[in-house]
Amino acid sequence: MRSLLLTGVTPGLLSAWLAVLAATPGRALAQVEDHQYSTADIRTGSRLYGAQCALCHGQNGDGVAGVNLPRQQFRRAASDDDIRNTITTGVTAAGMPPFRLQPAELDGLIAFIRSGFDITATPFTVGDAGRGKAVYDGTGACAACHRVAGMGPRTAPDLSDVGAIRQPAAIQRSLLEPSRAMVPINRPLRIVTREGRTIRGRRVNEDTATVQLIDEGERLVSLSKSDIREFELGTASSMPSFAGKLTGEELADLLAYLLSLKGQ
Amino acid sequence: MRISLRYALSLLAVSGLSAPVAAQAQVTPERLERAAAEPQNWLTHNGGYDSKRYSTLTQITPGNVKNLEQKWVLQNQVFGAWESNPLVVDGIMYVTERPNDVIALDAKTGKVFWLYRYTPSPDARVCCGANNRGVAVLGDTLFMGTLDAHLIALDAKNGRPLWNIAVADVKLAYSITMAPLVVKDKVIIGVGGGEFGIRGFVAAYDAKTGKEAWRFNTIPGPGEPGHETWSGDDWMHGGASVWITGSFDPSLNLTYWGIGNPGPDWNPDQRPGDNLYSDSVVALDADSGELKWHFQFTPNDGYDYDSVQIPVLADMAWQGKPAKLMLWANRNGYFYVLDRVTGQFLLGEPFVKVNWASGLDPNGRPIQTPQPPGMPTWPGNQGGTNWYPPSFSPRTGLFYFSVWENYATIYRKDDQEYVPGRNFLGGGFTVVTPVPGAPTIGIGRRGPINNWTNEVGSGATVALDPRTGKRVWTFPQFDVTDAGMLTTASDLLFTGGREGYFYALDAKTGKELWKANLGGAIVMAPITYRIDGQQYVSVISGHTLVTFGLRN
Repeated sequence: MRSLLLTGVTPGLLSAWLAVLAATPGRALAQVEDHQYSTADIRTGSRLYGAQCALCHGQNGDGVAGVNLPRQQFRRAASDDDIRNTITTGVTAAGMPPFRLQPAELDGLIAFIRSGFDITATPFTVGDAGRGKAVYDGTGACAACHRVAGMGPRTAPDLSDVGAIRQPAAIQRSLLEPSRAMVPINRPLRIVTREGRTIRGRRVNEDTATVQLIDEGERLVSLSKSDIREFELGTASSMPSFAGKLTGEELADLLAYLLSLKGQ
Repeated sequence: MRISLRYALSLLAVSGLSAPVAAQAQVTPERLERAAAEPQNWLTHNGGYDSKRYSTLTQITPGNVKNLEQKWVLQNQVFGAWESNPLVVDGIMYVTERPNDVIALDAKTGKVFWLYRYTPSPDARVCCGANNRGVAVLGDTLFMGTLDAHLIALDAKNGRPLWNIAVADVKLAYSITMAPLVVKDKVIIGVGGGEFGIRGFVAAYDAKTGKEAWRFNTIPGPGEPGHETWSGDDWMHGGASVWITGSFDPSLNLTYWGIGNPGPDWNPDQRPGDNLYSDSVVALDADSGELKWHFQFTPNDGYDYDSVQIPVLADMAWQGKPAKLMLWANRNGYFYVLDRVTGQFLLGEPFVKVNWASGLDPNGRPIQTPQPPGMPTWPGNQGGTNWYPPSFSPRTGLFYFSVWENYATIYRKDDQEYVPGRNFLGGGFTVVTPVPGAPTIGIGRRGPINNWTNEVGSGATVALDPRTGKRVWTFPQFDVTDAGMLTTASDLLFTGGREGYFYALDAKTGKELWKANLGGAIVMAPITYRIDGQQYVSVISGHTLVTFGLRN
């Protein structure tokens, strides 16, 4: 089996506080194409990023329009050398100054970006995407709720680009502990309107006065909160946990398939 | 009784009878001092030297506010958060847009008279966007600070530059984003750059020539009182920026300024001591810049709790006696009342969850309780509130401001060497989220969908009784809010939020009376003015400045 084993470092108090999955101490590696980045590099990059880059690029790396660093979306860079060049020469037109950094610091920044900003380095195994698709369609029955490239229902989040927008550890967390890993915006809603109509669905946007959701019949619904009698936001995901239901190998394969989904 | 001609003119203007005369009048220092007596205008950044953002206009009332309609819209021609605050002088509105454009327009129709464009040096560095918060006016002259730390005087009639001086060195990442404060014959301005290791200052310039009249360094140099609160050379790059307009009390001849964070931001261990006058308010003589008193809110700050809030000056009874007070909701999560004559601490109460301090001692000094590494600190990095202009209504006796609730940050300290013109932060921070990797609150909204949700923090408009420091009412918002406040003598409160709603609330109860979805984040305060008997309310939302009035 072609696989890449990633083992985690001890989570800091932060991740403990956030009740992240416990990880075993060890060495972590992230891999993008043919490059490997060490935990030490990722951590160096994380510190440097916070000090030098986060003000403009944001803590989540999406602070500059058209650029999303953890999702590997750049305006011009593609290879590690491209990223290195952008950092050292700057982008004058966009207001990015050139940075004078040591080679090891540059390696760290690139490692941090390539790791998708994931310094917790939760262990996960990436298996075979082809076999993973079979798990997705078969044992996992993922297609019963999720949609990929225009196929499948829309009630659960569309996964067509999940490999581009979520990190491997986060996807694995969703498979094993879906409720804990659920991104808050996706929480299930049960609403009873003043007229007595009950609507169940997935939240897609909310503000002080209104809420938008997609209901079980895939209808887009927008409601004024003043028309709502009961508003129940669930914290339990309707997705089942696959812990103990899939073998380790099936899980690795499924993860590989999901990571291969990069959207358009 | 002897009344000066100028004052008589301003009285006429108040009466609303003399539009043609008032329209020609220059903006004298006397008019600025009595700005509150000209509610048809908005002559200073916060509507008057006391910065109450309270207007005596009463045409729009709780009863008829539902009849507000859009009168005109000005579309911004450049993109990015629009934090400017317009002035209105005798029917003409002056507003800035990023980076440093000034627009003069007919405040009744939105039609533009002139546009002045200034291109800041490419060396300009700012932490948080190419913002400019507006101009100041004196006579027929407008004044604007620039991103490359210049101060420019413009002819208010045609937008032509009259003088342009360098306030500080742009190569060292000094910048100006605040609107200047004009006092008598001087233009007073402070500098930004607290994330780049500057040494901050407030300086006054002759309005006619641009010649520097005085300068107050917000970090005392060797031999000056307060220098002992710094160690070694830390004072040279200790930040203490000034990026929000101050207030002025003519009866005391004192100007008041909120001072920004010490640098590097998140590593207090690297700069032992109280780090005066970072995170303080200073009272400076308007003529000489001499320091009369100071009060420090957050000594040796490790949380970026800039004290750049607008000093709100209120005259009210304090424990049975008339008092000259200063009301201050600080980014550090505490609300303060100070005696603005002496700087004496009178009251301090937390208005959001606070765990960086366990309380304040009798002098108002916080008893700091730093959290262990990796544990969250409340309030988070953007604070319990921030620079958004508050309001005080003498009618309700309440203080109004935007707060961020349930919002925490985990800080990390790193040693950092100062490199001229570069970020000088000393660590980093992450916003606490319920799920690892979930979207978190940023400095601004990046799209129309709230994908961070209120689980990461939410906003509220709050009315607080300054006599107790306790909330009287809370108007909760789902997203956080950076909106400023405007109150009127008809007990209306106008404000907004990141979601794009523009609200009129009952100032006494917080009840929502009217709202409009303007579609873009409201990150500044509304203003109000009157032309030809019609009261207008203007607010900036996203890339539009929208002006409302009652349906005729």
